[in-house]
Amino acid sequence: MNYPVWDLTTFGGGFIIAFVAVVHVLVSHFAVGGGLFLITLEKKAYKDEDANLLGYVKKHSKFFLLLTMVFGGLTGVGIWWTIALLNPAATSALIHIFVFGWAAEWVFFVGEIVALFIYFYTFGKMDRKNHLIIGWIYFICAWMSLFLINGIIDFMLTPGAWIETQNFWDGFFNPTFWPSLVFRTGLSLVLCGVFGFVTAAFLKNDKLRHKIMVTCAGWVAVPFVLMLAGGWWYLAALPEVQKTIIFEKSPEMGTYLSALGWLMPILFIASMIMALRLPQSFQKGFCFVIVGISLLYFGAFEFTREGGRRPFVLYDQMYANQVYIDDIPKIQEKGYLASSKWINHTEVTDDNLMEVGHDLFVYQCSVCHSVDGPMNNIKPLVANYDSVFGMDAKLNGLGKINNYMPHFFGNRSERWALANYIVNGPDLRDPPHHPRQAVSQSASSH
Amino acid sequence: MNPAALIPTPDAIPVPWGWFYVLLMLTFLLHLLVMNAMLGGGIIALISTLRGGNENSLLCKEFSYKWPYTIAFAVNMGVAPLLFVQVLYGQFIYSSSILMAVWWFSIFGILILAYYSAYIYDFKFEALGGLRIFMIEFSVLILLLVGFLFTNNMTLMLQPDKWFAFFGNTGGTLLNLSDPTVIPRYLHFVIGSVAVAGLYLALIGHFNFAKSAIKKETLINKGMSYFTIATSIEIVFGFWFLLALPKEIMMVFMGKSAYGTGMLVIGIVLALVALYFSHKRHLISTCICTLLLMIDMIFMRDLVRVAYLKPYFQLSDLTVTSEYSSLMLFLVTFVIGLAMIGYMLKLALGCRKEVTK
Repeated sequence: MNYPVWDLTTFGGGFIIAFVAVVHVLVSHFAVGGGLFLITLEKKAYKDEDANLLGYVKKHSKFFLLLTMVFGGLTGVGIWWTIALLNPAATSALIHIFVFGWAAEWVFFVGEIVALFIYFYTFGKMDRKNHLIIGWIYFICAWMSLFLINGIIDFMLTPGAWIETQNFWDGFFNPTFWPSLVFRTGLSLVLCGVFGFVTAAFLKNDKLRHKIMVTCAGWVAVPFVLMLAGGWWYLAALPEVQKTIIFEKSPEMGTYLSALGWLMPILFIASMIMALRLPQSFQKGFCFVIVGISLLYFGAFEFTREGGRRPFVLYDQMYANQVYIDDIPKIQEKGYLASSKWINHTEVTDDNLMEVGHDLFVYQCSVCHSVDGPMNNIKPLVANYDSVFGMDAKLNGLGKINNYMPHFFGNRSERWALANYIVNGPDLRDPPHHPRQAVSQSASSH
Repeated sequence: MNPAALIPTPDAIPVPWGWFYVLLMLTFLLHLLVMNAMLGGGIIALISTLRGGNENSLLCKEFSYKWPYTIAFAVNMGVAPLLFVQVLYGQFIYSSSILMAVWWFSIFGILILAYYSAYIYDFKFEALGGLRIFMIEFSVLILLLVGFLFTNNMTLMLQPDKWFAFFGNTGGTLLNLSDPTVIPRYLHFVIGSVAVAGLYLALIGHFNFAKSAIKKETLINKGMSYFTIATSIEIVFGFWFLLALPKEIMMVFMGKSAYGTGMLVIGIVLALVALYFSHKRHLISTCICTLLLMIDMIFMRDLVRVAYLKPYFQLSDLTVTSEYSSLMLFLVTFVIGLAMIGYMLKLALGCRKEVTK
């Protein structure tokens, strides 16, 4: 409304953000826990004077550098890039409310990079104690990044007292801040074990490989408890409305919830299997299976968390389609077209009915619905609607009966245009099967 | 239709705009320094590879060690100015980015490829042999493309009158190619990056930071030669850029504004003085002049932005919520961060021998 919308059709419905976000969060959480994994193992290698273990830590640090700094760092920037393109209004709100939170996070990002470069390039050259200090600084910086971003992400789901006070700290230390931090810290440590399997599986020394596999299995098992406790606390801390949306209302949440329920024990059991003495060829393949399971598990969690915000992108402030709650009276009074800066029509006429309908679909629906795409395809959802009147009634009921979706924002003729476009337009039906119905009919239908 | 009608309503800022302005300028300077070392260094390494010979090969090897660092820090130092420009000019940059969304979205993906390619270039320098040139060509071309896309967005965001093109193309594939300033502005950045990277290589030699077998004198000489040639070309491109600006904006630097005109004169003088020092091989004096010149150019760049947006917006229009406590959070973090980085560098400089890969 305030901003233009990138018309993505097939790749609409949140596909791009899901694609970038899921791979990023897996690697970025590994980047947090991985620092502690490196220094713990390095310290043990010094204590036991174990040159083989130290050699492994050095190799793992190269893998860690290449995965987290290059892929993790750039996909992190990529998420910011992506949300700004797909939801500029929400991005702008988060940037402006939390600018100094982001800026502080940037300072820790700089610290992370400096520390990781020094850690890697001085491995074996720096005094042991100092090298461990660098490792600790890396871990603290990475965890502080998580700490800061966690506050902003959870603000989107549970803004808490911020709604009343508009105070930075109320928004940051929101009702799910602490449970989410515990959950994510636990998960980031679990991922150390998961990615540790990958580097360990390729070690030639059988004895060392088995020893590290057992260690990594321990890194999955122990923080698993922390992760479960954080997850349980997270659910308990969710306000009733968000809980209802997740567990009862949103149609596809069931899939994500059951995926979470299944994948959690599978991840645990698969990781424990790696602690057994197994052929290296099996371990080389199976370690990637475990990474895949983690990716699906974390993906299911992120989908569930994001789903809990429905129909909002910023809970109780802004709907997923970038409409502020506060702007609704103005829209209802003036109409959506007249309130929008980036739609080339100000009112619905017989001649522009389909064009306006298309624009309204792009601006109000495409953020969650793709057209023939992998995410939330609109076509099967509207396939049974043969009548514009039926679709118009459905749009009228949005946000009332199925409260996981926003209301339709606009006046009657705009709603009629959208209903016409959905039922009779050339884009959403295979094949179009009704002649279009004129705007003037909308009045007689109500 | 009035272009102003397209401009989104900006969000409120927590503290007066001056804070963000200072942070934007400061962090943009840091980004520019590292980004120039990254891009210009890549171009110099590519030219050296094409020229061949032992010294050029050693120069490439030396740069291969430094390239991954520069990419990491160029990206990292780019985050802060992009954050602050979104705070001050979000309504403009979000809109223009969506107009060219496909290109803009592609940036971080292709940067990942360039980054990995730079690491392969570094870690497998010897093993790559003849293939080395393809790796460096690949990375340099990507970095040049990224720069070109940035120039497009940074100019498109300043011209809401061009945003009407969106109504004919909502797929995010627009660019700002019809703007006569895009090419000279882009070349001004690219050639400037070679000049700064030349100094970067010379400084590596001067402070004995070279890791390869390249001689200190070779690095200094070659670096300063690249600086001299690139700066000479840069002056010509600078005038082309100036003349390509719309007349009312060009006049800001040609007499209409004493501040703008003064900044241009200072810039020209600093460029000539830097050229004189580089000709005399006075490295540190050249570096100081260049740093001052870059600061001058950053302010001139800002004047261009202000002049373009004058009909629509000025920073004092932004609503301020007076939320100072979060600023304190940042300032304290910033000081702790600086101390932490200083401490780490002290430890690192204590053991200059890097790990053998």
